Amino acid sequence: MTDVHAPTSKVESKTEAADLEGEATRAFGTGPAELAESGSGGTTGPSGTGAGWGRWAWRQLTSMRTALILLFLLALGSVPGSILPQEGADPASVTQYFTSHPTLAPWLNRLGLFNVFAAPWFAAIYLLLFASLIGCVVPRTFKLVGSARTPPPRAPRNLARLPQSVSYPSALTPGAAVDAAASVLGGQRFRLRRPAAGDSGQWVAAEKGYLREVGNLLFHLSLLGVLVSIALGGLFGYKADQLVVQGPANGFSDTAAALNEFHPGRLVTESDLAPFSLTLDNFTASYVDSGQNIGQPAAFNANVTYHASPGSPAKNYDIQVNHPLSVDSVKVYLIGHGYAPVFTVTGPDGAAYNEATPFIPANSNTMLSDGVVKAPSASLGFIGVFLPTAYLTTDGTLESIFPAANNPMVSLIGYSGNLGMNSDVPQSVYQLDTSQMTKISGSPHLMAPGQTWKLPGKLGSITYVGTEQWVSLEITHDPGQIPALVCGMLALAGLLLSFFVRRRRVFVRAEPGPGGVGSIVTVGGLTRTDASGGFEDEFATLAADIADVSAVDSAADVSAADPNQPEPNNQSETGA
Amino acid sequence: MSVNAGLAHVSTDFMIAALLIYSLALLAFAGDYAFGRPRRKAAAAPVAERAAQLAAVGAASAGAASAGTVSAGTVSAGTVSGGAAGAGSANPAGPVARPERPAGAFRAIKDAGPWVVAAASLSWLGILAHVVAVTTRGFAVHRAPWGDMYEFITALTCVAALFFGYILIKYRAWALGVFVMGAIVIALGLAETLIYTPAGPLVPALQSYWLSIHVTAMTLSSGIFFVAAVLGIMYLVTERYRKRVAAGKAEANPLLDRIPSASQLDKLTYRAVVFGFPIWTFGVMAGAIWADQAWGRYWGWDPVETWAFITWVIYAAYLHARATGGWRGVRAHYIQLLGFASLLTNIFVIQIFVTGLHSYAGVQ
Repeated sequence: MTDVHAPTSKVESKTEAADLEGEATRAFGTGPAELAESGSGGTTGPSGTGAGWGRWAWRQLTSMRTALILLFLLALGSVPGSILPQEGADPASVTQYFTSHPTLAPWLNRLGLFNVFAAPWFAAIYLLLFASLIGCVVPRTFKLVGSARTPPPRAPRNLARLPQSVSYPSALTPGAAVDAAASVLGGQRFRLRRPAAGDSGQWVAAEKGYLREVGNLLFHLSLLGVLVSIALGGLFGYKADQLVVQGPANGFSDTAAALNEFHPGRLVTESDLAPFSLTLDNFTASYVDSGQNIGQPAAFNANVTYHASPGSPAKNYDIQVNHPLSVDSVKVYLIGHGYAPVFTVTGPDGAAYNEATPFIPANSNTMLSDGVVKAPSASLGFIGVFLPTAYLTTDGTLESIFPAANNPMVSLIGYSGNLGMNSDVPQSVYQLDTSQMTKISGSPHLMAPGQTWKLPGKLGSITYVGTEQWVSLEITHDPGQIPALVCGMLALAGLLLSFFVRRRRVFVRAEPGPGGVGSIVTVGGLTRTDASGGFEDEFATLAADIADVSAVDSAADVSAADPNQPEPNNQSETGA
Repeated sequence: MSVNAGLAHVSTDFMIAALLIYSLALLAFAGDYAFGRPRRKAAAAPVAERAAQLAAVGAASAGAASAGTVSAGTVSAGTVSGGAAGAGSANPAGPVARPERPAGAFRAIKDAGPWVVAAASLSWLGILAHVVAVTTRGFAVHRAPWGDMYEFITALTCVAALFFGYILIKYRAWALGVFVMGAIVIALGLAETLIYTPAGPLVPALQSYWLSIHVTAMTLSSGIFFVAAVLGIMYLVTERYRKRVAAGKAEANPLLDRIPSASQLDKLTYRAVVFGFPIWTFGVMAGAIWADQAWGRYWGWDPVETWAFITWVIYAAYLHARATGGWRGVRAHYIQLLGFASLLTNIFVIQIFVTGLHSYAGVQ
């Protein structure tokens, strides 16, 4: 991952290696020619022609510096999305923000800050980033194919100048010593190169770790795959919300008309909806009822009966928070719950209302909930507060002290008059338009289950029959999910390869020993980006392995006899 | 299931014990700085002895005139040149020692003197107590012990301590002890005093085996990034000081010689990030899979998700920066520290003050 945008990094390693013999470092994929071609962040200006400008712009875009800046912009651009309310996640809070910041909100809205992750400028950042990525990955793929076909470079003349090197005497002839070293390196699956006809000296060059590049490419291409998968989900997926009250009469079918909210992808039509239907048999919420965490939810279970399609047999399922229901390619999640007090309303002309009425929790700890009862045929409306465990405090206020319905009470404010439901403007079921109504005397009126409030002036009556519960379900279909998961896992695999495989070269050269007896063997090694570290140790071990098969015995005796063997230099990494 | 109060107490006791032992380890690391064996001399002595021996061997076996001129420096480099410093080169004229395999870490600790032995032992003892504390908390509440903020911080520091214990041995990193242990003691101490939360059951949203997978990965990588951040700060501070010394604006402080060189710190930081980054990536992915089960979508730009993404992007920028000429060194370290700052923002600002689906901190 560290060098998809390799050209600029190569500048560095090139200067580092300038005093090395060029051959050894030729290479871990790039050369000076490529440097000039893919640019190092615009050191050269554009030439006058249109094509020149195009090339210059492309070079700018694919430079590492641009990639870095785009990464920063991506991070920076995400910040407002976590601080300001977002339309996608919480539209109610956005409306709230508009009310509380009337001058600022429209400006933020113009900048797309209430929908950052769908804003054009945010898309511009990540699309540019991916363009920059492609501009680096594609040429690099060709390079990888090329380098897989090229043998390692010749061994440099002076191996002692490589970052890692060691030299020792051997009793073997130069040719035999190098042969022995080559068999050790070959046995460790290094790719080898021996002197050709025109080359002088006895040496072997070895290279290993091509998977590093493969991992690097895999990681970046997989990220692209994740982006495509997300787009796939956005085009062909859908998401819907549905509030379901307990009881066989309150089921629903997965059709656009029946759903409370339906958010289809761009290429989704109503006929693409999975044809299932579902009823909520029973919902239970249990809470911690003692100790420090009193009132904290302990479990939610929604027992449902569903039909996968209109003719298919009924099945039961227990939907829990981490346990969604899967029907065909669709998943049904439990995302909320609340109480639905059942009311009957009788007007002057008889029965006008008989329903379980979902109330919306205003306080998630005590489940104190707000709701509205509308009986337009009786010209009556009620604004209510539901208290699952009602408790009258000493100063006379009514509170809920526990989320379970242990002592349910409803407090109602009654209104009579025109509910305004005949106008063209659609009304929320959770709001009562009292502009053309008058408050009924005796409000607010507190009721326990089974109690009836006889309204004054022959307006009628309302009975609080009992309490049902409701759940809100989310129905989602995302065809991009599995591709995203696969790409994510490939990205991780690529990341691990690129971090933990190192591309390294080892050279062994043998010269005739003093007086023509034996040889002096020099082992040299270098690595490019040793991300996870450890090349020093690997080299030391490898050099020792090679020495085992080619060193002279007297040197071995020295090592064995010496009580103060200096440890390899890597010991001094931090300690010394 | 109810909480096992007895085990919860054991956990708290061990946590405090760990804190105390870490503090002692911190003192021992500081003691090593103040009174310990000077490292450069300790390292130089055996090398000089060996040089004399080798010179003799060289003269005897090869009879080469050049053997007599082999200096201590060349020999030490010739044994295995390079290392972290990457300096030095073998002397091709003088055939020297046969290459040796890397030596054991425990001997290196022993050679570093009693202060380092004490500090390393105390560190590992403290880590042991810390692991026991975290584990018993898990058994007390019958789940992975990182469900609330207190548990998360104690687990995070446990990972940081374990990671430090590992690099202490693998990279002989005792010179970092004062700084890493210092940061761990501060973080753990704050967790104990400010955000201690008694053991309790989990809300339904957290009742999933993905809690163990996702939060474990996030805790692991955060702990490793914690160490990387400490190293990064050390790099910036010592680098600045060394530059001032070089410019004659500050007096050389002998303590500075005991701190690893800038390039060593730089390399260690990089390795820590390289270690932590894939785990973070995995943690975010596991979180996405869990989010898909719990909330019906794998990615929804929840504030905590957003900041995990921001952190990921900044660390990715660090990794790219480090591979880019002109962005290496100080600049790359600033990026890395920015990444850790965003990680901390996520834990201490977003999770506590911004309402979102991840609001589980349990901090009042």
